Amino acid sequence: MRITDLLKKEGIRIGTAPASKAEAIDLLVGLHEKCGDLYDTAAYREGILAREAMGTTAIGMEIAIPHAKSEAVKAPALTAITAPAGVDYGSPDGMPAKLLFMIAATTDGDVHMEVLARMMQLLMDMDLTEKLKNAKTPGEFLSLIDAAETAKFPDEVKAAPAEPEKKGYRVLAVTACPTGIAHTYMAAEALAKAGEKLGIPIKVETNGSGGAKNVLTPEDIANCDGIIIAADKSVDTARFDGKPVWSTKVADGIHKPEELINKIMNGEAPVFKADKKAEAASDIGNESFGRRLYKHLMNGVSHMLPFVVAGGIFIAIAFLIDAAKGVPMDGNFGSVTPVAAWFKAMGGYAFNFMLPILAGFIAMSIADRPGLLVGVVGGFLAANGATFADPFAAATTPSGFLGALLAGFVAGWLLKLFEKLCDKLPRALEGLKPVLIYPLAGLGIVAVMMCAVNPIMGVLNNALSSGLLWLNQHNLGVVLGCILGAMMSIDMGGPLNKAAYVFGTGMLAAATTESFQVMASVMIGGMVPPLAIALSTIFFKNRWTAEERKNGVVNIVMGLSFITEGAIPYAAAYPLKVIPSCAVGAAVAGGLSWLFNCTLMAPHGGIFVVPTIGKPLLYLLALAIGAIVGMLMLAVLKRPIKEEAAED
Amino acid sequence: MVQKHFTIKNAQGFHMRPATNFATAMAGYPCAVTIKYNGRDVNAKSPMFIMAACIKVGSEIDVVCDGEGENEALAAAAEMIESGFGE
Repeated sequence: MRITDLLKKEGIRIGTAPASKAEAIDLLVGLHEKCGDLYDTAAYREGILAREAMGTTAIGMEIAIPHAKSEAVKAPALTAITAPAGVDYGSPDGMPAKLLFMIAATTDGDVHMEVLARMMQLLMDMDLTEKLKNAKTPGEFLSLIDAAETAKFPDEVKAAPAEPEKKGYRVLAVTACPTGIAHTYMAAEALAKAGEKLGIPIKVETNGSGGAKNVLTPEDIANCDGIIIAADKSVDTARFDGKPVWSTKVADGIHKPEELINKIMNGEAPVFKADKKAEAASDIGNESFGRRLYKHLMNGVSHMLPFVVAGGIFIAIAFLIDAAKGVPMDGNFGSVTPVAAWFKAMGGYAFNFMLPILAGFIAMSIADRPGLLVGVVGGFLAANGATFADPFAAATTPSGFLGALLAGFVAGWLLKLFEKLCDKLPRALEGLKPVLIYPLAGLGIVAVMMCAVNPIMGVLNNALSSGLLWLNQHNLGVVLGCILGAMMSIDMGGPLNKAAYVFGTGMLAAATTESFQVMASVMIGGMVPPLAIALSTIFFKNRWTAEERKNGVVNIVMGLSFITEGAIPYAAAYPLKVIPSCAVGAAVAGGLSWLFNCTLMAPHGGIFVVPTIGKPLLYLLALAIGAIVGMLMLAVLKRPIKEEAAED
Repeated sequence: MVQKHFTIKNAQGFHMRPATNFATAMAGYPCAVTIKYNGRDVNAKSPMFIMAACIKVGSEIDVVCDGEGENEALAAAAEMIESGFGE
């Protein structure tokens, strides 16, 4: 039993001036009451006074130790005051008491004897008692006692902390960022260091791109005081039910780790309830609407990225093989040689999943697991363009990338709304909700929505086609080149892109110089966006995160292969900055290509079909100028990111 | 020098009040008074030292008086301890 186990800072008052013994006793009893040591303050005070009536508890040397064993005491405890002016306590040596301790002892056991003995052993040290009398703060008072006790009973020190300390980690944390390469780990390291500095055991789970590492076990969670979630994407929170959880952005984990840990240790974090869907967790950190939007979007983009990269490279390999074989550069280019055909098909299959995955993970981020179905199906419908009139999508226009974004967000929100409405259903139906009601309603919602949206895209598409035709007929070729280039890069596979591309390939059939000029402008417009972004990540490094820079290199291959989709992850993440820049760059390239009288006879293939290009060097020059214009404009629109808060 | 062996009878041992009364009583004698307990010598004229020794019920102690008035001091000590300090 250490004195410091019984005496708390709150139980100490420095520099009191009691006028009498009774006042001093009242002060000490009051401190016990404040510390919550007593069941019955009056009864305990009674006990103290009865003991004093039998003889003073002043022990000389300006020290008094009033004490009582009482039923009114919850657990053994100490309080203390210093009275620099002294108080008459009837001491045997006639000296006033300046240092007073009050012992509250339970009626069972010898604690009271042991505490008394321990205190006497310490208080025999005149040096210590003088220092205690002159202590300036309760903290100083307590640390003086702690130091003296540690010096006197060194053996206890090692044993003592192990016993009363709670086991396991006090604070847990989960860090995650959309790309899962840098910030996740920077935040984890910052939190771990802060925990070490504050002397608080902390365990940090990293939800990076390679999956979750250092995963929190149910035991960790059960034993901890609270959990910090520093994440810019959704993390699994259902497991934290009933624990205090503080949710914030990953940048706070990097910049304010100590503040976050203190929020948990000070009990400022609200207790998390998992029954209202995991999504609620990401809302409690009072996030703005824009931030939630970004988080949902990035959840989709980060899951889509691997499909884009792998599929795009496979398709580029197919073109490379066919080019090496010297096959005719027509509509079949890239799938003539069997090996090329295999690569092109496999890459194409991966590409087919792009929009469903994008929309699916956006919707899942919004509406939790039931959202996956609506998003994936919605993304698929955006890609194939089904309508009410043409459900098999035999002859329709896909709404593409923009349609998939719409599917992910709108269907996700509608489903979430539907889930809220379902709260009113009888409890008996609870089990049916996730397996039947949500999927059924979700599919209905998204199917109706996308079949309604796709025809609108189709109309848009037709209007654009006739507009382009009109331009071509009126000899406004350069303008047409600019517009085609811009259209290719605005929605990257959506209606504008499709309209321009279909127009371009349709013109090929006419087999005139002009028609080949159209195709050249179309392809160059699709090649600029990935190249502009790739150049930006190389020459304007401070605009991008490490992860974005890494993927930038891949975009060179994508751009040269006429795989516009490489730019989608960037366009989705920063649409208002990337899309205008790419569109302007592509428009410049498309216009220049027309001006230079470049022609193209192949419908796709990028740099690999250069042999079919008329004036190939000028074509490459136009491409380079377009990409550089796009890069420069991006540099203007997208400001340098702050060193670490990159993903904000 | 005289000394006597005792077993502490009162339930709470040498807590504050017995320690204070005992020390005050012993201080009235000119001889040195020492309590031998647990291999240690405790100055029996100081309530603090007695309390610090943490002598509980059932403890075996020797009281040693050495000097002028040692017999009277030991007799007084024996009376206090054997009566259980009047508790």
